[in-house]
Amino acid sequence: MSLRLAGVSYRYAGSPNVVLSEVDLVVEQGEVVGIVGPNEAGKSTLCLVAAGLAPGTIAGRLEGTVTIDDLTTSTARPYELAQRCGSLFQNPGTQLSGTTLSVWEEIAFGPRNLGLALDEVVARVNAVVSTLEIGELVERAPARLSGGQAQLVALAGVLALQPAYLVLDEPTSQLDPQGTNLVGDALAGLAARSNVGILVVEHKTDLLAGIASRVAVLDAGRIVAIDASADILADERLPGWGVDQPSSVRLARAAALRGVSVG
Amino acid sequence: MGWISRQFTTRTIVLMPIAIAINIVLGATVQQVLKLPIYLDSIGTILVGVVAGPIAGLLTGVLSNLIWGYLLPAPIGSSTIGPFAITAGVIGLLAGLWGWLGLFRSRRGERSSIPGAIVAVILVGALALYTFSRAYASPTDFQNNTGFDPTTLDQSRIFFLVILVIFVALIAFALFLRRDVGAVYAIGAGLVTGIAAAIVSAPIAAIVYGGVTGSGTDLLVAAFRAGGDSLVSATLKQGLLSDPMDKMITSFVVFFIVGNLSQRFIARFPNGERLVSPSA
Amino acid sequence: MTQRPPSFVVRAPTGTYRSLNPATKLATAAAEVVAAFFLGLWTGPVVVLVLVVLTAFVAGVARRLGVVAAVTIPIVASIMLINSLLYPGATDVIARIGPLAPSISGFLFGLQITIRLLAASLALGVAYLTTRTGDLLADLERRGFGRRASFIIGSAIETVPRTVTRAAEIVDAQRARGLDTEGRWWRRVRGIVPLAAPVVFGALTEVEERTMALEARAFSTPGPRTVIRTLPDSGRQRAVRWALLLGLVLLVGLRLTGHLAVVP
Repeated sequence: MSLRLAGVSYRYAGSPNVVLSEVDLVVEQGEVVGIVGPNEAGKSTLCLVAAGLAPGTIAGRLEGTVTIDDLTTSTARPYELAQRCGSLFQNPGTQLSGTTLSVWEEIAFGPRNLGLALDEVVARVNAVVSTLEIGELVERAPARLSGGQAQLVALAGVLALQPAYLVLDEPTSQLDPQGTNLVGDALAGLAARSNVGILVVEHKTDLLAGIASRVAVLDAGRIVAIDASADILADERLPGWGVDQPSSVRLARAAALRGVSVG
Repeated sequence: MGWISRQFTTRTIVLMPIAIAINIVLGATVQQVLKLPIYLDSIGTILVGVVAGPIAGLLTGVLSNLIWGYLLPAPIGSSTIGPFAITAGVIGLLAGLWGWLGLFRSRRGERSSIPGAIVAVILVGALALYTFSRAYASPTDFQNNTGFDPTTLDQSRIFFLVILVIFVALIAFALFLRRDVGAVYAIGAGLVTGIAAAIVSAPIAAIVYGGVTGSGTDLLVAAFRAGGDSLVSATLKQGLLSDPMDKMITSFVVFFIVGNLSQRFIARFPNGERLVSPSA
Repeated sequence: MTQRPPSFVVRAPTGTYRSLNPATKLATAAAEVVAAFFLGLWTGPVVVLVLVVLTAFVAGVARRLGVVAAVTIPIVASIMLINSLLYPGATDVIARIGPLAPSISGFLFGLQITIRLLAASLALGVAYLTTRTGDLLADLERRGFGRRASFIIGSAIETVPRTVTRAAEIVDAQRARGLDTEGRWWRRVRGIVPLAAPVVFGALTEVEERTMALEARAFSTPGPRTVIRTLPDSGRQRAVRWALLLGLVLLVGLRLTGHLAVVP
């Protein structure tokens, strides 16, 4: 059981450009795969395709197959896909429904949509609240959350559907350092303590260094390198691909240049 | 029924509240800021009708008025707008029809569309002429009319000419701005919508508010009444002066907006196919 | 033990009139509006107005209802002035001052419309002031309204303030770029597109993200969604609602068939 992209190419509706080319990628349950690459490489598109939002919700032409456990994204309904693979994007503001008066109800939005029994809805909300440790936020109005808190609540809302996989498209890019830490810690916790398979696009390679077991580099719609995260993140070609290396790597290099070895 | 549910994709459901908010905010802002008798408070309704379909447009209009009138507190909330939900619904419904007919499609540089556009202008002009001559012909109720009275033809002629001039001026302005023959269809559709809106609004204004809305146009209604018109007839006459102009301008703005949105974005809406230019 | 949502989610409304089911309050308001328009020219409006004001006091919203009434002052003033001074075909004209012809029958006509309008507006006002929108939507959904209508209304109300702010910013920005709001009319007309288009474009940028976000939360799942708040209702209220509905239909029928001509 895995999230699997096989020979995937994708074009947006109304556009002739091929944004993803022959992408093969597997995310197993319990592993975290990071995606890095230059701007306009197709990383966001990769997220949409992996989660099944493309072509399902946004149309477009998909070649190859994307399977999430037993479902094929080109044939499954969006609500079925949402229960297998959760997606989180950059802007917390547009991911909250805007129709709930408390964080608790916001998290309950997803399970309620499924028509689950009230017991089950309550149980799921409480479970997610304790997993992400956001108990002190449950009574707050979603409109009054900081960026980082809102993103956590959005994450909670998605996790409440109990997906086996999670696709994250630069979840911290619009957050301040405090928010980034908040979300980063939550992701690290998920990576360590849950069995969710995570695919995460991030520019902040420090964050990836902490949670990803493998990292892939996407350039011009193709995966040009994929390996264990320590190896990829230390690869010297990264800056050429428009990716900042993690501070630990840069520190080591700077030290080496000065003849100091960092053990 | 499938035809109706096909209009309500998740994307439409997301667009509608945004369109409703646009209606309410522009309706409260434009007239205030530019100090013109133009409201643009059905711009969201027409947009939804054109891109998603008639029933979606109808609901957008109805809900806009109900929310604006009954669910929002002052200062945004408007106390007089609620009953006109019927008019707003008709506007949305018509916009869906125009969208389905492809009238809001960009026709930039499409020479072949020019004859069609000329025919459209003639048809719309004829419709307007007929409506105005019937509405302004006699002081008695519009519906009971059997023909026009030559002595009062002046009134109808004057007002018709005013609207016609605005119609032509708008088209000229639009063509100058965009060189897009499609503007003619959109503005023509706006004129027809405006006439329909005036006809539907007149009895509502008369019955619920006695023809008065608390704005400057009340004096116009009063003037018509002083000239011997019934209440409905007076409100109709006033409506026929303001609604066509407002809806023509609104329709042109919607046309402009649809033309400027990316094809990618438009194509994903239920009516998207009919709005995408073949040249794209 | 079955798990329940926390109390801050349930938020049961309190107060004599307020705690009534939203459908009851709506039905009452609807019946009052119909009565104001169909029960004679004076009887209906006056009776309804008195009833509405009493209800407001009982529910504790009298002062806020006063604010709602105050908002209608411009239109009431207009109605009274225009009808008192320019009522066509009046036979009891007091004086003639140019085109103005104040008359008693005009004044009475204006008064009639005013009271009717006030009665209807305030009836709806009481319903609005004693019912939270969230409660109304929750109750409607329980009765089969559907999650999509609930979402549209709730989201629209939340989007309006944000759009107001954005519109104000755009007005400022465009003014700095030369948008003319004080000059000749043709210059102001040219400001229509620069004012309206950015407001619309800005609002539309969110559509894609929000669509995907809703799908990611399984919004398009078929079937009813779980009810987590049930507004209290009772057999008595149900009976009252049916009675109001029947009374309403009866009233309209009687009026349309001319049986209520005797009512003043």
